[in-house]
Amino acid sequence: MPPMDMTKQDSLLRTQIRVIGALVLRETRVTFGKAKMGYLWAIMEPIFGTAFLTLIFSIVTRHPPIGTSFTLFFATGILTFQFYSKLADSLMAVFQANRGLMAYPLVKEVDVVIARFLLIAATYTTIIIVFFGGLIALQIADYPAHLDTVLLAILAVALLGLGAGLTNAVVMMLWPTWKQLHTVLTRPLFFISGVFFIPSNFPPDIRYILSWNPILHCIELFRAGYYPMYNPQTLDVSYLFFYIAILLLIAFGSERLYRKHQK
Amino acid sequence: MISFDGVRKTYRIDGVRKVVLEDLTMSLPAGRNIAILGHNGAGKSTLMRLIAGAELPDEGRIHRSARVSWPLGFSGGFGGDMTGIENARFVARMYGEDSERIIAFVEEFSELGPSMRVPIRTYSSGMKARLAFGISMAIDFDYYLIDEVTAVGDTRFKKKCEEVFSSKLKHAKVLMTSHSTGAIRKMCESGCVLHQGKMRYFDDIEKAIELHDDNQTHAP
Repeated sequence: MPPMDMTKQDSLLRTQIRVIGALVLRETRVTFGKAKMGYLWAIMEPIFGTAFLTLIFSIVTRHPPIGTSFTLFFATGILTFQFYSKLADSLMAVFQANRGLMAYPLVKEVDVVIARFLLIAATYTTIIIVFFGGLIALQIADYPAHLDTVLLAILAVALLGLGAGLTNAVVMMLWPTWKQLHTVLTRPLFFISGVFFIPSNFPPDIRYILSWNPILHCIELFRAGYYPMYNPQTLDVSYLFFYIAILLLIAFGSERLYRKHQK
Repeated sequence: MISFDGVRKTYRIDGVRKVVLEDLTMSLPAGRNIAILGHNGAGKSTLMRLIAGAELPDEGRIHRSARVSWPLGFSGGFGGDMTGIENARFVARMYGEDSERIIAFVEEFSELGPSMRVPIRTYSSGMKARLAFGISMAIDFDYYLIDEVTAVGDTRFKKKCEEVFSSKLKHAKVLMTSHSTGAIRKMCESGCVLHQGKMRYFDDIEKAIELHDDNQTHAP
């Protein structure tokens, strides 16, 4: 088995896919611990958290803005929101956490970003399936009316989180204070992203301001897919995907530009 | 083959810019064991890290059309909460090797015994080095990078390392730095001299050592 020949046969793309695969498994192990229960717990924890919040809000608010179940309404909002914020927060520390790995000639910076992104996206997609599966089984909710739209919303929120998270990682590399500042600055996001309201509850001028927030569009898109009769006026899918494209361009562009700062 | 294409590498420490490589374009010929010579602080370790890909040049590119190892004995890439086996498995997966074969080799070679099943953070530095060396030896590289030969373990273990390594060197080459001209003469037939941001390659190691000695005596 002459090693030279192997290198030649090994295409760059195949090597990168293999390295990312190894990184995802490593990341799973590091994040969730050794026990088999670790991954299960990682999925169950946000589910219990969401279930608890949903329960509280269902008691306080009896009538959801759309549909009949406040539980379903709140779940569509909070899971989408958490998907985004988990990516935006976790990816921020991705370079610090994996600095040692850069000594391996095969590992590239983008690989560790993609690996962490894939793991979080897979985890949250599983959480969404389990949670809504549970609601359907308990007859709290129906099947999503337009599954393709729901999937589009999941894709959008994943890419939005990737763009935001990687941008955060680059900014933090250049300016470490960003970590604290980001926590403070993004705290209001939970309240202005439509987790517990729909934009049409507000007068047009406030609705206009809210409509700049891409997470709101993700949640609206998710609901437009889940509910059979919901046709949100504020939702602008092309704005959302245009925003995502620009953000990803900034994220991957600045990562490339400032790469040598971290190595 | 490893080739440099307009590579520039500088450091800025407390506002003072230090040049390690100034616009280097050259190829290190394949099939030769090469020593990198230079006085302390000339940037030999940085050059090693550039070749390994652990650091990036400010400008230019480094092409590696060969499997290059990470610096021999380096354990910085290990996950502290992962066991010896898990770390070995990660490297095996990354290189597309059979995990079980790699683990078996590392277990046998490193003589860590049951410690292979405990997290790395409980290891002594000697145990870590043994694991790292074992993993490097389990994978077939075209080039092994050695940044200063560091002895691992007792005399018997050292002998075992040398034996395994010399069997590896039938198919692989080394790129090394060392302060010992004895070690360099023993392992390398060619050499590079890194001096004030410039690097020169010599087919004959003696010529490289000669220039290096000359640089040393005329050092400012």
